[in-house]
Amino acid sequence: MMDRYTLLQKIGIYFGIAVFLTFILLPFFEMFMTSLKPLNHILRAPYQFWSDDFSFDAYTRMWERVPLLGRYIWNSIFIATTVTIIAMIVIVPAAYAYARLDFPFKTQSLGLFLSVNMFAGAVLLIPLYKLMRTLGLLNTYWAMIIPGVAFLIPTGIWLLRGYLEKIPKEMEEAAYMDGASRLYTLRRVILPLAGPGLVVVATTVFITAYAQQYLFAVTFNSNGNLHPLPVGLLQFIGYQNVEWNMMMAAALTGITPVLLVFLFLQRYLVAGLTAGAVKE
Amino acid sequence: MATLDLTSITKDFGAHKVLSGIDLAIRDREFVVFVGPSGCGKSTLLRIIAGLEAATSGRILIDGQDVSDAAPVDRGISMVFQSYALYPHLSIFENIAFPLRVARLPEAEVKAKVARAAEILQLTEKLSLKPGQLSGGQRQRVAIGRSIVRNPKVFLFDEPLSNLDAALRGEMRVELSALQRDLDATMVYVTHDQVEAMTMAHRIVVLNKGRIEQFGTPMELYHHPATRFVATFIGQPNMNLIPATVTGTGAEGVTVAFHGGAQMTLPVDPGTTRAGDRVEVGLRPENLTLGQGLAMRLRVLERLGGTAIAYGMMGDGLKLCAALPGDTAVHEGEEVGLTFAPADAHVFDAQGRVLRRRQAPALAA
Ligand SMILES: Nc1ncnc2c1ncn2[C@@H]1O[C@H](COP(=O)(O)OP(=O)(O)OP(=O)(O)O)[C@@H](O)[C@H]1O
Ligand SMILES: [Mg+2]
Repeated sequence: MMDRYTLLQKIGIYFGIAVFLTFILLPFFEMFMTSLKPLNHILRAPYQFWSDDFSFDAYTRMWERVPLLGRYIWNSIFIATTVTIIAMIVIVPAAYAYARLDFPFKTQSLGLFLSVNMFAGAVLLIPLYKLMRTLGLLNTYWAMIIPGVAFLIPTGIWLLRGYLEKIPKEMEEAAYMDGASRLYTLRRVILPLAGPGLVVVATTVFITAYAQQYLFAVTFNSNGNLHPLPVGLLQFIGYQNVEWNMMMAAALTGITPVLLVFLFLQRYLVAGLTAGAVKE
Repeated sequence: MATLDLTSITKDFGAHKVLSGIDLAIRDREFVVFVGPSGCGKSTLLRIIAGLEAATSGRILIDGQDVSDAAPVDRGISMVFQSYALYPHLSIFENIAFPLRVARLPEAEVKAKVARAAEILQLTEKLSLKPGQLSGGQRQRVAIGRSIVRNPKVFLFDEPLSNLDAALRGEMRVELSALQRDLDATMVYVTHDQVEAMTMAHRIVVLNKGRIEQFGTPMELYHHPATRFVATFIGQPNMNLIPATVTGTGAEGVTVAFHGGAQMTLPVDPGTTRAGDRVEVGLRPENLTLGQGLAMRLRVLERLGGTAIAYGMMGDGLKLCAALPGDTAVHEGEEVGLTFAPADAHVFDAQGRVLRRRQAPALAA
């Protein structure tokens, strides 16, 4: 590949990336720093970035302070994973239908789905609460999973449809000529080719599911055993003081497993996000 | 082993009539090529035969059986697409085996059939590779391999060579002709390249604006084009068309006067033409020779070796092209005289229909 940038341009580009990354990563870094400091150092005025007393103390003490912390982390991952799985089971065939089939009210129905996303989840909390109560799902995992899935389906369809549309139609026609059914073609041709797209969509769904569970958990669940991490973190807020260092340590511990999975998927993510950007 | 009959096929896309009244009888083991300008409906007709597109009306019969409503596999048809449509994530073996996998054949049979197809197409060494690792010509062969493994009765090709470079295209042309003989198959082939049509076809269908202009052997189309459209479409360089007026008809043929005033009697059936009718005289560049007759100002001379293609203009601004012997001593900018044998002339009436030639070469069967 040709070196297309001059040194000056490169410096500019790297500088831009550095600014951007700083902006995104600084909160994480600050979280980490906070988790290492003793509580009285955190609340020191004036604010002191560096502490002379760093320790991983909070990482061990947090488990005692909030005994169910492990359970909360597990709940978070469990809810987000289940939401992702169920959502994908619905999204894949729906996105395929929107990408390839012709049916009445195709564009209108997709628009309608998407308009649901225009409402913030909060607006719909009360009707959803009533619905959950009627179905007898309050205080169960389902109370957090079902609304999570429902809110993610429209975006998921929208995103995945774009990927599926990029797969040449002739490949499907060739399979059809050879006698393959739609489902067989979907399984053996379309989905393998849409791999990167699937990873991107599943990732987006997972992240959003992870982020949105707080609202549903606070509203639809009062069973302490089922709470996800964001709700669990509230327990670090005591009557006298807030255990900031432990809260940050717990938050970081909670997202670490997810982070590891994403590092592993990164290769697909990059391929997926740029797929179709250049003519092959 | 199959005949293919189309009866009054029409196709509309909304208000847009793409095909109107296509009737075609293709014989067993025949290699038929559809040619025509872009947008004339070649691909649409092929896709209707394949079963990828439903005809608005009309029937399709394979071996006498009405398959108009059958799925492609049940028609016993396979198709090779212009873009190859290979599956990039599957190996060459699995690409070729795809139709057999769909049919759930036992593994041993799949292996044997793929091996045979790979051998015919010289792909045996490539079976474990992915399509991305093959050259254009090899990919094309994989696409053909996928279409031959399940022994269809009719093969369809939609411009299969148009993505290849000229040299490879020539090679594949020969291979495809040989394949057609070896497989004893009925083939329908779409192209807009008339060299492919002339060299490979047993018979050619010339399509224009969704209608069949003519269906015949390459030499029939060359010597006896039914219409002005076919005459200019078949043959390279294109046929010259010179406007003329009929001055008389008789047993000898039709006497025409060119705009320069020169008169000539051409041995064609007058049909309904009368003195005074405007006609066009069609002259193939290869039928023109140096001599007294049409005067042309030579503008460009392309020496190809064996022949020299002379492009020029007649006095009234009409373009003219002649294929002369390679070492003809003429120069660009010069005035040259061109002549032709009356028997070589084609005459088209005002509607573009040909007046039948009397002395043209006998038709090759
Ligand atoms: N799905 C479709 N919807 C509407 N119009 C179509 C559709 N498919 C083809 N057409 C129209 O039908 C006409 C014939 O198309 P077709 O693809 O058969 O042409 P073609 O002869 O194969 O041309 P080319 O040589 O460019 O491939 C064109 O005018 C095209 O715009
Ligand atoms: Mg076409």
